[in-house]
Amino acid sequence: MSYIDVVEKIDVPKPLRHYTAPHFEQVLGLQIAYRREGAGEATVLFHGAGFTRMWLPFYAMLAQKLDFIAPECPGFGETPMPKWVRSFDDLTILYDQLFEQLGLNRIHLIGFSMGGWAASEFASYYPRRLKSLSLITPVGLRLEDDPGVDIFQLTPPELMDRLFKDKDVMMQWLPDGENFDEGIHMYSEFSAAARLMWAPRYNLALERRLQRLTCPTQVIGAEEDRLVPNAMSDKFAAVLPHCKLTRLDGTGHEPLLERPRELADTLIAFIEEASK
Amino acid sequence: MNKLRFYIFNLMPYPHIPPASEIQSTWVSLSNKYYDPHRGQALYKEYIDQLAAAEQFGFDGVAVNEHHANFYGTMPSPNIIAAMLVQRTKEIPIAIVGNAIPLHGNPLRVAEEIAMLDVISGGRIISGFVRGIGCEYFNNGIAPADSVERFNEAHDLIIKAWTVDGPFTWQGDHFYIPNVNPIPRPIQKPHPPIWIPGQGSLETLQFIAEHKYTYMMVFSPLWFTKMAFDGLREECNRLGYDAPKTMFNACVPTYVAETDEQAHREAKAHLSWVFNTGLKIPDQFFFPPGYMSTKSFRNFTGLLQKGKVKRQTDLTYDELIADRYIIVGSPETVKNELGHYCDEVGAGGIIGPGGPFGPMPNWMVMKNMQICSEEVLPEFREADGLPDYQREKPHSYRSLAELAAVKGRPEETARSLVTGGGDTLIEHRMAHVPEVIDPTMEQAPAERPASAS
Repeated sequence: MSYIDVVEKIDVPKPLRHYTAPHFEQVLGLQIAYRREGAGEATVLFHGAGFTRMWLPFYAMLAQKLDFIAPECPGFGETPMPKWVRSFDDLTILYDQLFEQLGLNRIHLIGFSMGGWAASEFASYYPRRLKSLSLITPVGLRLEDDPGVDIFQLTPPELMDRLFKDKDVMMQWLPDGENFDEGIHMYSEFSAAARLMWAPRYNLALERRLQRLTCPTQVIGAEEDRLVPNAMSDKFAAVLPHCKLTRLDGTGHEPLLERPRELADTLIAFIEEASK
Repeated sequence: MNKLRFYIFNLMPYPHIPPASEIQSTWVSLSNKYYDPHRGQALYKEYIDQLAAAEQFGFDGVAVNEHHANFYGTMPSPNIIAAMLVQRTKEIPIAIVGNAIPLHGNPLRVAEEIAMLDVISGGRIISGFVRGIGCEYFNNGIAPADSVERFNEAHDLIIKAWTVDGPFTWQGDHFYIPNVNPIPRPIQKPHPPIWIPGQGSLETLQFIAEHKYTYMMVFSPLWFTKMAFDGLREECNRLGYDAPKTMFNACVPTYVAETDEQAHREAKAHLSWVFNTGLKIPDQFFFPPGYMSTKSFRNFTGLLQKGKVKRQTDLTYDELIADRYIIVGSPETVKNELGHYCDEVGAGGIIGPGGPFGPMPNWMVMKNMQICSEEVLPEFREADGLPDYQREKPHSYRSLAELAAVKGRPEETARSLVTGGGDTLIEHRMAHVPEVIDPTMEQAPAERPASAS
């Protein structure tokens, strides 16, 4: 199969707020959209399954202290989904190639939610590429007792409710109800997420492979996550070698939007410490 | 050929659940705690009896299908019900519409089961293939995004397994099978007729046109069925052939009683249940992410928003009647309506006339079947009143004598070395006959000294 074939060519709408035009880098035939600002330690963030195409206030905070790079995952934002990408393994190959082309030899890697799974996979294959690994309310391990809700069974309002503990913040980030195209795009991005995560919702091998990591690691969990049980961050913290677990007050599954300042400060302090 | 073929279809609902207003969904999330197996047993018995009775009433076929984790249709394995119908009936075609082939770990299992049914039934099986509706994917470890690719590949594998002598290796994108060699093979050649149920997507219509399969439009308003059928005719023309009428089947639940008033009185609650309760499916279950292309999702969502289509759970009974989702009335009304319907859309078969619907009690179903068969069917039949299948030569032999007369002895038959038979392979049918095992025995009486004593 060709590297170039995409699942579907779609028109990507621009969100009304915080949209910025991305850079594009052609990687293995795929135009990967990414945003990059700031100077300092090269730090890459893998986003979660939503709130794409935007230069979030949280990103700007990181870019004040870091060389901050936020690529858009295939099938999200303005990066198309190639037919050959079916798994986190494929993403890992793609990101390794992207980093090579961007001259990013060793990086600090941050993964949020679904991006936390992608970051864990990348770290397990390329542990020596990482100067540090930070996971924010990640997914990807098996929780035997209570796997939590099935994200794909939620209506958009139910999803919003479960994403945020801070409902004032939630009200600021409600999808634009009048914007038909945004609803369609959300289906498209969830289709990409389902392609990667429908079954199983974990990779058992991560529990072994992540033990290879030698860089500093941390997990930032929510105070009360109603989408992914808090036990998930506990488990990641237990699996990752010499891992620091922080829980941010007032947060649900979306610390990036709920407590951007506290989260950015926590990350910057950790990355600066890891860079010494 | 008859003007129209009538197929009795039983979804086999389990109706003992709370009303639609009290539940989020009849699929996926409604707990199976509501399923009482003893009541289920009673229902299965009635449903199977109803389907088996279709042959006596003179219908053209019976149909069963596959759904999972829901109360609308409790036939997760339609082949099991088909197997029972094979034993309960003699001649009537049995349509399985269909097996959800992307959901199987090994599609060869479907090839094997359909072949078994086709052989045992003497070539009476119609084999439908479906993707399964979106809800089905929550019951499964198969990503909805893989559904179309898996459907196409499973289809290709099953057809090849039925039509090419094995063994061969299947090296697909989704399935790898080192040794494909299904036994038995189906009776019907090159394979059982294929029906494809669908909702009118261009991809489905192209697939059917390309393979010259039979289309089965699921519950839809007349205008939508017509649009899909016209689309299919167009696709067939594009490929250089005129689609025969028998390629088009529409699903139109139809209830007939003594008068129009009586028919509505009897059918309204039950037919409404099928749509309003049975098909109460929230969007997130109906369209799991990746089940539809973003383009199709955009089209459908656009139609919903503009009010061009309604969710089936929101349709009123009057709308169901007005849009010809369903047909209800006296024999005269139903004859006219069905005649008009099939002229309008160009259907050769109707699935659902005179059959069971939702929580309809058994006696009412039987009444529907009887009035339909005696007072509606003849209108659409030739003077002999026979279903088409009874005018066609059967696919199998009706007796051992007929089989032996036409086919003679098998080219290969079981042969073994038998004690006393030396190095000669003896046919098993003769292996208990001493003079066949040892031909020298035939002379033995002559060589033996006479023992008159």
